[in-house]
Amino acid sequence: MAKGIKDKVAIIGTGVTKFGEIWEKDEEDLLVEAVYEACSNGNVDLQKDVEAVWIGTQYPFSGVSGGAFTEPLKCFGKPVTHCENFCATGMDSVKNAAFAVAAGVHDIVLACGVEKILDMGSRGLPGLGSPHPLTVGMSMPAMFGICANRAFKEWGWTEEDLARVPVKNHHHGAKHPKAHFRREIDLQTALKAPVIAYPLKLYDCCAMSDGSAAVILTRPEIARDLVGSGNYATIKGIGHAVHSLNPFSRPDFTGLSFPSNVRAAQMAFQEAGITNPRRELDFGIVHDCFSINELLSYQDIGLCKYGEAAGLVREGVTSIEGQFPINPDGGLKCFGHPIGATGVRMIVELTRQVLGKAEGYQVKDARAGFAHNLGGPFTTSMVTVVGKPDWEAGG
Amino acid sequence: MVGIISYGAYVPMWRMERGEIAKAVGAMSAGGSRAVASWDEDSLTMAVEAGLDCLSSVDPKEIDVIHFATVSSPLKEKQASSLIASALDLRENVRTTDMTDSTRAGTMALQSAVDAVKSGSARKVLVIASDCRPAMPASEFEQVYGDGAAALLIGEEDPVARIEGFYTLSDAIPGPWRRETDLFPKRFEAKLDRNYGILKDVPQAVGELLKGCGAEVKEISKFALYSPDPRGYLNLSQILGMDAGRQLENPLFDTIGLTGTPHCLLLLIYALEKAKPGQRMVCASYGEGSDAFLVTTTEKIEAIKGKQKGTGYISSFRMIESYGRFSDFKKVPEAESAAGAEMTSLVKYWRDEKWGIRHYGMKCNNCGTLQYPISRCCMVCSAKDNYREVKLARRGKVFSFTHDYLLGCGGVPGDGLHACTRAIVDLEDGCRLWREMSDNTLQEVKIDMPVELTFRLIRRTGGFPYYGWRVRPVR
Repeated sequence: MAKGIKDKVAIIGTGVTKFGEIWEKDEEDLLVEAVYEACSNGNVDLQKDVEAVWIGTQYPFSGVSGGAFTEPLKCFGKPVTHCENFCATGMDSVKNAAFAVAAGVHDIVLACGVEKILDMGSRGLPGLGSPHPLTVGMSMPAMFGICANRAFKEWGWTEEDLARVPVKNHHHGAKHPKAHFRREIDLQTALKAPVIAYPLKLYDCCAMSDGSAAVILTRPEIARDLVGSGNYATIKGIGHAVHSLNPFSRPDFTGLSFPSNVRAAQMAFQEAGITNPRRELDFGIVHDCFSINELLSYQDIGLCKYGEAAGLVREGVTSIEGQFPINPDGGLKCFGHPIGATGVRMIVELTRQVLGKAEGYQVKDARAGFAHNLGGPFTTSMVTVVGKPDWEAGG
Repeated sequence: MVGIISYGAYVPMWRMERGEIAKAVGAMSAGGSRAVASWDEDSLTMAVEAGLDCLSSVDPKEIDVIHFATVSSPLKEKQASSLIASALDLRENVRTTDMTDSTRAGTMALQSAVDAVKSGSARKVLVIASDCRPAMPASEFEQVYGDGAAALLIGEEDPVARIEGFYTLSDAIPGPWRRETDLFPKRFEAKLDRNYGILKDVPQAVGELLKGCGAEVKEISKFALYSPDPRGYLNLSQILGMDAGRQLENPLFDTIGLTGTPHCLLLLIYALEKAKPGQRMVCASYGEGSDAFLVTTTEKIEAIKGKQKGTGYISSFRMIESYGRFSDFKKVPEAESAAGAEMTSLVKYWRDEKWGIRHYGMKCNNCGTLQYPISRCCMVCSAKDNYREVKLARRGKVFSFTHDYLLGCGGVPGDGLHACTRAIVDLEDGCRLWREMSDNTLQEVKIDMPVELTFRLIRRTGGFPYYGWRVRPVR
């Protein structure tokens, strides 16, 4: 019987660059900055102490193979694995790095991610690039626009319900020093913005941003030696499920719920011993690439019943001042979504929140929280729970 | 006796007021409107539509020969009829021929069809004529031309109209012409072309035809003729000595324009749709000579009515609001994404003809789910290699949709101004697929809206025209 990962892996170092349109820097600049910051506050030496590396990048122009890491850092001769798993690319690097530590194969490892989206142009993510000329694909907002129209039909949600999500996340991100967008917006601004993929408008969609993030992982007993107790968090559970690449042809596609989400959340919460995430955890980071995705994912993750997510935002429950803050960092809405970096950055945010180091956007009394990605055409979903080392579910 | 056993037509959704063209280019208006193929249509796609219409109550596997007649094939070297045959799901051993380069090609194809059936080498021959002729902007042809297609199924079983005589006349008159490298047709001397071309050839061919059939002009209920310009119809009526008001079939100039190769066949179909049994009709083409044939309708003419959309497509239309938009439809859409070019595999297109062009899905033998595209493992129960291929329905309704401003139709990067409507569609047979939408307005698209598949140019990547299926509002 597998024993799971709970409390076997400690996060001791975190690094994150400023996210945004970073024209003057390339993936090398960003990766070096994030990795050195993580090593520095993890109190490890990259060349001497780090035994193995996982790097997440989605697009070939941000790097290919393990060389995407070795060349920028000039850090050679270690096992380096390149991860790619749509929008969960970064979090999947963390997962694999954590598994290596939990398995006892390595003591100190690095998981990092970087994406230089702007180097490919600023007009939306390059398509998923169906190689099949007759399945010409659709833009990411189009995929979620299709879902939003179903939600409007099924539950009577409105464009205003969607717009409240970016208004909330901008309210949060305005206080985060590394965010791409650091300003509040009002509902009218969001509602009057141009349509990107009906009914999704500009503020329903996360921006095109560059960025990098890194974490150092080790075993808790080593963590105590390196950074001292109180300065590291532990992983409580990781769930990951990959579903269809072609959801729109499936007879069971509803546009209202994504099986990968449901399964990933179940796996992560079960491992962490959580039966009611909204009661037992203190906050969450939900993949708000599009406003509708934040809402639909609340439901799949189990924060509320189906159809109720819009109400949760309307009532302020998921605001940073609310009962269960979601995306206290500002989310993808304020950070943009450099694919390889996003999931790693979320783990950085979880760690900083539970260590009380989220200055300016700190969730009050945060002891444990979860982060969530949903990538591709609802294909790959990950949920990771991080908490203080002594945190136990049920509280 | 050999005859027409089914017919079908296609006229694209879009119309342009000639007055709007005239205003935009500073010319006189020829009045009325013309049919305009959408930016994702050409003579090949329209031929598929007319063929589908013609075969709506015929098993496509019974077709032995298909002739595609056009002066505007989208391909200079590469057969169009083989792809048309595939899209129509004809048999693999169907005989395919493109007959090109003259607006007389449609009637020449028809004569070949009749000969094949008479000789016993084929039982059913599908003749499709289709044109989407390029016209020099601001030229009179820009107003005169219209886009459309006509299809006739020729055979011996229960014809709706017997083909009783045929006369052909070849005439090496110089104009008009279009060389390999010309974008638009040229002509040297319109008056010569008129007086020594159409006004000589068509009456001569019709006269010889009638003589051969032992018929007189006054016995003919309808003349379905082609003239390269509207004035020719008046002249021909006078020369032939017919009562134009009663006997000349409406040239459809006011509504769709002169379609070229398909035109006289389209007019014949228009006449057949209104005909009673026992009527004699003459159809005559023009283009470096003239072919004329005479048909007599049978009792079966009543039974076929309503089975096809036919020229009903004429009254199903939307106006293009401006000359600018019209030009946009007519331009060569060369915009293509560099990234897309890298990612597109012609090999996959070739390999997946069964679902991509022939429009088959798979039905799982284990759980019974009808699904698309064809894949080794069932998307519902994951059963491996346990399915049968099933021809899918062409009509369905929208399950959900979006208007995508970020990625254009056919994988072209969106410009933020023009949306590509994308729809998940539940077909009538229960299969679900997703498609881009054509011919729609943004406002009309709703969940549960009825749609039908339409054969279109999906994309041009790496210089190759990829054809496949989109959906459109039901016409």
